[in-house]
Amino acid sequence: MIIIKIVFGLAVGFLFGFILTRTGITKYPRVMGMLLLKDFKIMKFMLTAVISSMILFHLLGDFGWLRVVPKNLDWGKLVGGLIFGAGMGILGYCPGTMAARIGEGKRESIFALFGMSLGIFIYALTIKPVKALFLSSDVNGDISVLLGINHWFLFVPAAILFGAVIFILNKKISDNNRLQ
Amino acid sequence: MDFDNSKEWHWFKGGILVSLLSVASYFIFAAIANRNYPFGVTAGFGYLAGKFGGLFKALSTNPVIQRFATKPDAFIEFFTIVGLIAGGYTASRISGTFAAEVIPDLWKRHHGPSLWKRGLFVLVGSILLGYGAALASGCTTGNILQGWAHLSLGSMVAGISFFAAGILAARILYPRIGWKQ
Repeated sequence: MIIIKIVFGLAVGFLFGFILTRTGITKYPRVMGMLLLKDFKIMKFMLTAVISSMILFHLLGDFGWLRVVPKNLDWGKLVGGLIFGAGMGILGYCPGTMAARIGEGKRESIFALFGMSLGIFIYALTIKPVKALFLSSDVNGDISVLLGINHWFLFVPAAILFGAVIFILNKKISDNNRLQ
Repeated sequence: MDFDNSKEWHWFKGGILVSLLSVASYFIFAAIANRNYPFGVTAGFGYLAGKFGGLFKALSTNPVIQRFATKPDAFIEFFTIVGLIAGGYTASRISGTFAAEVIPDLWKRHHGPSLWKRGLFVLVGSILLGYGAALASGCTTGNILQGWAHLSLGSMVAGISFFAAGILAARILYPRIGWKQ
């Protein structure tokens, strides 16, 4: 079992890293270009992946082949999200791309890997009082259950919305990043 | 250094491949371990932090440290990180973009070549990244690539917060870059 886990983890990581690097998602000027609203290749890449997996996940889910478990909403999502976002803006990439960048020879990312682990370490030490501040309540993350409608009534509009964002960004702004 | 964008895959190709990978990995893991596992990387860093925390006697009883050091997801995601490094290396060798680089060029142009200055920002940025990802229970991979696809309310809030704070931080760091396209 442990071997299967190791092989599975390695294989997923290898393919993911390969795709990220090959598509150019790992580049510092691309991430900063997105946050400075100059280059939307990463945004188009992410939304394409989201639309495609949204449809695949729920088709397979409706066939009963897998079960989708949406993440609940709590205050940590908002506060943690803002802290993470600030970190991403300062650093210029996110955890997945950080690891792929190490493989690309970007040496500062090795340092970032330790920093990120240190951040989680600090989280472990401080989370008790922080959690007490945020109340421990959370909201069911499944929007279709909250609204009491069939999930396809959410995915189709969401897919159309994301698709429209991709289309408009693609038409208005070229991938030729001027920050590079 | 000039980037040769012609060697990059199109965003559509990359996006579709990532979605196939995320669905396939979810499916395969559900089949072999009979549980739902959306792939991510944050817990892998948690595994590192957990192992590190275990080195200190006083910390080894911390429940969060213990959970990270023993959680099965964290163990898998640790190897996902190893795989990511190997994948990045292989892809950059194939496309010829492998390049030893210490500080990104864009940073150098705006903030100078000082290793200490960039090092300080990398340290602060990556600590915030780790803390935030742990608190939001997922990073861009878990909360956007997976969470948005599941239309999770929690991930929607997390993902929007990522961008809101990221855009603000980028603007503060690069005040000379204008808003105009």
